[in-house]
Amino acid sequence: MTTPTPRTPVPVHSPREAPSPVHSPREAPPSPASSTPGGVGSSPRRPDGTLKVTGEFAYSSDMWMDDMLWGATLRSPHPHARIRGIDVTGAVRMPGVHAVLTHEDVPGEKRYGLEYRDQPVLAFGKVRYRGEPVAIVAADHPETARRALDRVRVDYEVLEPVSDPVRAAFDPDCPLVHEAGEDLPPAHPAHHRSGNRVRYQPVRTGAFADGATAAEVRALADVVVTGEYQVGMQDQAFLGPESGLAVPAEDGGVDLHIATQWLHVDQSQIAPCLGLPPEKVRLTLAGVGGAFGAREDMSMQVHACMLALRTGRPVKIVYNREESFHGHVHRHPARLRYEHGATRDGRLVYATAEIVLDGGAYASTTAAVVGVASSLGLGPYEIPHARVDAYGVYTTNPPCGAMRGFGAVQACFCYESQLDRLAAELGLHPVELRIRNAMSEGSRTATGQRVDMPLPMADMLRRAREMPMPPERAAAGPVDVRALPGGVANTSRGEGVRRGVGYGVGLKNLCFSEGFDDYSTARVRLEVVGGEPAVQVHTAAAEVGQGLVTIKGQIARTELGVERVTVLPSDTRVGSAGSSSASRQSYMTGGAVRAACLAVRARVFELVRAAGLVGDDHPDELLGLAGGKVVSGARGVLVSLADLLGASAVEETREFRHRATEMLDPTTGQGASHTQFGMCVHRAVVDVDVDLGLVKVVALDAVQDVGRVLHPQQLAGQIQGGSAQGLGLALMEEIQVSGSVIRNPSFTDYLIPTILDVPPMRIEVLEHPDPHAPYGLRGAGEPPTLSSTPAIVAAVRAATGRPLSRIPVRPEDIVGIERD
Amino acid sequence: MPAQTLTATLHVNGREHALPDLDPRTTLLDALRESLGLTGTKKGCGLGHCGACTVLADGRRILSCMALAALYEGREITTIEGLAPEGGAARPHPLQQAFVERDAFQCGYCTPGQIMSAAGLIDEGRTGSPEEIREFMSGNLCRCGAYANIVAAVADVARTPLVPGAREPEQGRS
Amino acid sequence: MRSFAYLSAPDIDTALHAVSAEPNAKFLGGGTNLVDLMREEIEQPDTVIDITRLPLAEVAELPGGGVRVGALVRNSHLAAHPLIRERYPVLSQAILHGASGQLRNMATVGGNLLQRTRCVYFYDTASPCNKREPGAGCAAAEGFHRNTAVLGTSEHCLAAHPSDMCVALAALDAAVEVRSVRGVRRIPVTDFHRLPGATPHVESDLAPDELVTAVEIPPLRAAANSRYRKVRDRASYAFALVSVAAALEVEDGRVRTARLALGGVGTRPWRAREAERVLADAPATEEAFDRAAEAELAAAVGRPDNAFKIDLARRTVTAVLRRLLTTDGSTP
Repeated sequence: MTTPTPRTPVPVHSPREAPSPVHSPREAPPSPASSTPGGVGSSPRRPDGTLKVTGEFAYSSDMWMDDMLWGATLRSPHPHARIRGIDVTGAVRMPGVHAVLTHEDVPGEKRYGLEYRDQPVLAFGKVRYRGEPVAIVAADHPETARRALDRVRVDYEVLEPVSDPVRAAFDPDCPLVHEAGEDLPPAHPAHHRSGNRVRYQPVRTGAFADGATAAEVRALADVVVTGEYQVGMQDQAFLGPESGLAVPAEDGGVDLHIATQWLHVDQSQIAPCLGLPPEKVRLTLAGVGGAFGAREDMSMQVHACMLALRTGRPVKIVYNREESFHGHVHRHPARLRYEHGATRDGRLVYATAEIVLDGGAYASTTAAVVGVASSLGLGPYEIPHARVDAYGVYTTNPPCGAMRGFGAVQACFCYESQLDRLAAELGLHPVELRIRNAMSEGSRTATGQRVDMPLPMADMLRRAREMPMPPERAAAGPVDVRALPGGVANTSRGEGVRRGVGYGVGLKNLCFSEGFDDYSTARVRLEVVGGEPAVQVHTAAAEVGQGLVTIKGQIARTELGVERVTVLPSDTRVGSAGSSSASRQSYMTGGAVRAACLAVRARVFELVRAAGLVGDDHPDELLGLAGGKVVSGARGVLVSLADLLGASAVEETREFRHRATEMLDPTTGQGASHTQFGMCVHRAVVDVDVDLGLVKVVALDAVQDVGRVLHPQQLAGQIQGGSAQGLGLALMEEIQVSGSVIRNPSFTDYLIPTILDVPPMRIEVLEHPDPHAPYGLRGAGEPPTLSSTPAIVAAVRAATGRPLSRIPVRPEDIVGIERD
Repeated sequence: MPAQTLTATLHVNGREHALPDLDPRTTLLDALRESLGLTGTKKGCGLGHCGACTVLADGRRILSCMALAALYEGREITTIEGLAPEGGAARPHPLQQAFVERDAFQCGYCTPGQIMSAAGLIDEGRTGSPEEIREFMSGNLCRCGAYANIVAAVADVARTPLVPGAREPEQGRS
Repeated sequence: MRSFAYLSAPDIDTALHAVSAEPNAKFLGGGTNLVDLMREEIEQPDTVIDITRLPLAEVAELPGGGVRVGALVRNSHLAAHPLIRERYPVLSQAILHGASGQLRNMATVGGNLLQRTRCVYFYDTASPCNKREPGAGCAAAEGFHRNTAVLGTSEHCLAAHPSDMCVALAALDAAVEVRSVRGVRRIPVTDFHRLPGATPHVESDLAPDELVTAVEIPPLRAAANSRYRKVRDRASYAFALVSVAAALEVEDGRVRTARLALGGVGTRPWRAREAERVLADAPATEEAFDRAAEAELAAAVGRPDNAFKIDLARRTVTAVLRRLLTTDGSTP
C-alpha cells in the first residue's frame, strides 16, 4: 500500500514546563506524585503543538495521493419523500467520472447505526431528512464530481414532513417516519419503542413510585413552581469539516484515513456494509479539526470505501460547510415541562419533568440521550418524590445525536431555571436554595443510585459565590464601549445597561452508562534507543484537540520514570479505545495506558530479579522506576534501564474497564446506571442593554471538581471551551429548522461565539479524588457545558426580569417583544 | 472542463510559482492547498465566515477562500508556512511560539488562520489593549474556545499589557 | 462554480468596452460577495472582468468640503481615512461594524454598494425565490423570515438589504458615479437601490454595462455629530437585525438638521424621510425622537418572525438620537 502524504508523526520530546493557569486548592493529597519531568500533574507542551502552529499537522482534509479521485454526495432536497426511481446514466457517461453508486451498489448490509442500525448507507424506499445521501460519485476533479451529481435523476414522491416532535411522541395518528415492515432490527425491549418513539424512559421515586398522582404529591408542598421550556437545536460546529481518504488494498480490503471520534465503532459499522471481515477494513486516525460529538456517528466513511473499492483508486471526500450541517448529527432540541414543590423553608419536596427530545430521522444515540436525560433530568438535588418521563422520537427533522453534555444539557437549563424561580418565590438567594438541597457523597439520585464518590456541591457553590466580582462599570468618566453590550456598535455610554448575576450547576455522567461494556486498550513498549530508555504508547484513541496525546505521554513518564515517550498514531492495529466522548478518555485510555505501563513495570522488575540484582522474593512494592533507572527504596539505584534491557524490549497490552453499570428499570427507572459523576458550578455576570436586548457576558467564572488534575493548562482549556459552547447555546446558537429543513446551514447565519463574546474566566479547580478512577481523576470536558448556559440565562433574567424560558435568548426576548 | 485556463505566477512565501493551467475559478486557497501543496492554510467554511483561510497579501490579512487566485498575481502572499523567515518547526515565528506556550488552541484547525490574522493585526497596530485585540480578532472563529489564550498569545507578541481593566486568566509567563 | 472567461482590465476603457461587448459579464473587485454567489451558483457570469488594477482607489477631498471615494477603495482603508473619520464618523463606524478585519481589507466601496441580500431562501437553490429566479415565488413569506425586511417589502420579496456602509451613505446623501461606453452619470444613493415591487431581481439602477467608479459625499455640517448603531445577535461579525445611521445638529434646543437611515429592516438602505420630516425644527427631546421613529415605522409590515424589528427599530432610532444629543463627538 502506498502511504498517503503528509502523515503526522506525533513525537514527544523533553517537554518544557508551562505555567499553571489553574488555581488548585488541594483538598486531598494527590495519588502518586510524578517525579519525572513532564509527568502527571505538570503542563508539558502538546506533542503535536508545534506542528499545529506551523501548518504541518495533517488534518483529514490535507491527505493527498497522486492518483486519487474525489468523491461527492447527492443529497435529498426533500425532508420526506418516497424514491420512485434513480437514473444515473447521465452521470455515468460524463468524462472524468469513474463511478456513480446508489443503494443497489452497497455490497453488504444496507444500513448502519451507532447503537441501532436504521440508517441507510444510501437511501432506498424513502428519504427521511433533507440532505440524506442518495447517490455518490467518484471523479478525477471535485468540480466534475459535483457536475455529475446534477445529472443523477431521482424521481421523488414528496410526502408530508413529520416536523413536530411533540406530535410524534403523543399522537397515535401521526404518520410514521419508519413504517412498519421496514425490516429494522428489533429494538431493545426496555426502550418502550412504539410508533415514532425511539425510547421512552420513566423514573419514579417516593410517592410517585407508589402510584401517587401529581395532585396528591403537590399537596405536600408549600410552594410550587412550574415551567415550560424549549431548547433550540445546537450544532457542534467544529471548524474542520468531515473528510476522509479511502485507499483500496491488495488484499481486497481498504485502508481508511479518517477524522473520527472512535475508530473501532466506525470499523464495526463499515465492514458489514462493505461485506468485508473487520480485519480487511483498517482505519487510521487523520488529524481531527474538532469533534464535540459530531464525529461519533459516521458521515462519509462507507461512501469513500465503496468508491475506492469500486474504482480501485484512492478516493477522498471532503464536505463543504453547508454539507457538514447536513452531514452530521446535532444536539437534540427539546421541549420540557417541569414542576417543583418545596417547603416554606426551602426544602425540595417533589419534582416532575416531561422531556421530549427530537431525534430526527434516524436513531443515532437518541436512546442513550434519553437514558441520560431521564436519569439526570432533575439534577444534583435531593428530592424525596420524583417523576420523570423522557421521550426520544423520530421525526423528519435533521438527525440528532451526540454533542458535548449529551442529554444532560437540555434538562440542566430547565432544573436550574426552576430552582431560580423557586428561590424567588421563597425569597432565598439562589445559591442558598441550592445548598439546602444539594447532593453530596452518599446521596441518591432520582434513579436510586448512591453517589459513592466525593460530590462537594455545597462547597463548590459557596466558592463560586465568594469569588471576586468583576469591577463595577464606571459610573462616570470615559467608557470603553467595547466593554458594553453591543461592543463598538454601542450608542449608549451605559445608560439603560443593567448588570445581572446568575448561577448554574449541573450533574453529568462521565464514561458510558447503562450496562455498556466500556473499555480501552493500550500497548506500551519500553526499549533502549540510542543508549537511552524510550517508551512507545499505542492506542486507538482519537485525539480531537482535548490533548489526550499529551496525557498519554504524561502517564507513561510517571509510571515508567522515562522522559522520552513517543505516542504512536492511533489506528485499528491495536484494540478499541472506545469513543473520545463522554469525557471518558483520560479515565479510560489513561487507565489503559497506566495499566499497560504497570504491566511493563512488573516485567522489568522480573528482569531485575532474574538478573540477581535483588533476591527472588524481593517484592515489586520495594522497587521503583525513576530517571531511567530501577531503584530500590533501601539500596538506591540498582541498574539503568539501558543496561538492564540492552537490545530487548518489553511490551505489554492491556484492556481497562470501569466498573460495571446497570440498565435503568424500564418502569421505575431505578438502577445504578452511571459509573462516575462530574460537576461544574458557574457564576455568570452580564451587562444587558435592556432597551435594545443586547447582552455582554462580563464574567463567566467556574468551580469544578476534577478529582485529580493531570495537566493544569489543558484542563483550563477544557473548562473554557466547554463554557464557551454553553454561552453559545444561551445567547446565539440555533439551527433554524422550518418545515424540517435547516434554514441557516452556514457560519453567517448559524452564529457561534467569537473572541469578543467569551469573557476571561476565573477558574477554581478542586481535587477530591474518586476512589474508583485512575489517579482519582474525573472527566472534565463536559460539565462546564451544562452549567454555563443556565448561569448566563439566570444573569440575564436578573438584569431584565424577563422569564426567558427558551434558549437561545434573543434580543426580542429580552426587550419583551413576543415571538411565536 | 474549464472554458479557458490562464497562465499565472503566484508569489508565495518569497518564491515564485508558475501555474500554467490555472482554471480562473480557482481560489487562492485551493491554489495554495492543491496546486502548491501548502495545506497549512485551512478551509473552514469556504464562504468567508470563519477566518481559517487567512493569509497575508502584501502584508494585509485577507481570506484566501474569497480570493480568486488570478486576481492575486503579482501580490506577495504569505502563508503559515512562510511566516517564520527560516520556516518550519525548527525556528518558529514568535507568534507561533506564543500560541504553543499559551496553549492557544486545541484541535488546531483554526490556528494557522488565527496566527496569520494576528500577524496582520499587529501590523495594523490595533493591539493596544486586550479589548482591541478581541475586537479585531473577531473574524477568526475558534470552536474549541481557546480565546482567552489566543488573546494572551497575541498580547505577548504585541507587548500589550493584559492588565489593567482586563481579567485575563491568571497565567504566569514562562 | 460555473466556468467563465477571465479578463484582467488594465484600464477603465478596456473594462467598459469588454462589458458592453459581453451581455453576461460581471466586474470583480474585492470578491467578498460575488465569489461567494458564484460558488453557490446564484451568480453565473460567462465573463469575469477583474477590475482590481483600475486606478479607482483614491480618497480625495472635493472643493466645497465633500469627499470623493474611488470605487476600489477598500473598506478598511475608507474607515480609517482621516477625512472620513473627521467629517463622516457615521460612515467610518458603519464600515467597522460590518464583517471582519480580513473582509474589510478585501471589500471595495463599489462592491459593497452592490452587496446582495442574506435572505436564507436566496441562498437555498432548492427553494423558490423571486430575486434569484423571477416568477418562482417567495418562500420567505411562509417560511423562516426573521432576518427579512419590514419596510419596502412587496408580495414578491421580503429580502433585507444587508449593507452597513450603504445605510450611512444613504443618510449622507451620497451620490454614485457610474460610467459606461455611453458616458458618465451620477445617481443619488437613495435612488441607486430599488424597491423590490414586482421585480425583486432588479436591485439597482445600474445598467448591465455600467461600472461604479466613485462615490461622492457632499459636505454636511451635521455629519460631524453622527453615529452608526447596529443591533445584532452577536457583538461582531454578524448582519444587522436593525441598524441606524444618524446625524444630528441641534440649535437652541431645536433640531436644525437630522439625517436618518435604517439598515436590516428595509429592502433597500432605508432613508427615513418621514422621521426627518417630523424632526425638522422639532424640539430635540426624546419624545420627539420617539414620534419621528413611530412616523417612519408606521408603514412597516411585520410577520411572525420579524415583527419585533419594528419596535426594535423604534428603540434604536431613539437611542441613537438621544446619544447624539449628549455626544462629545468622540468616536471609538
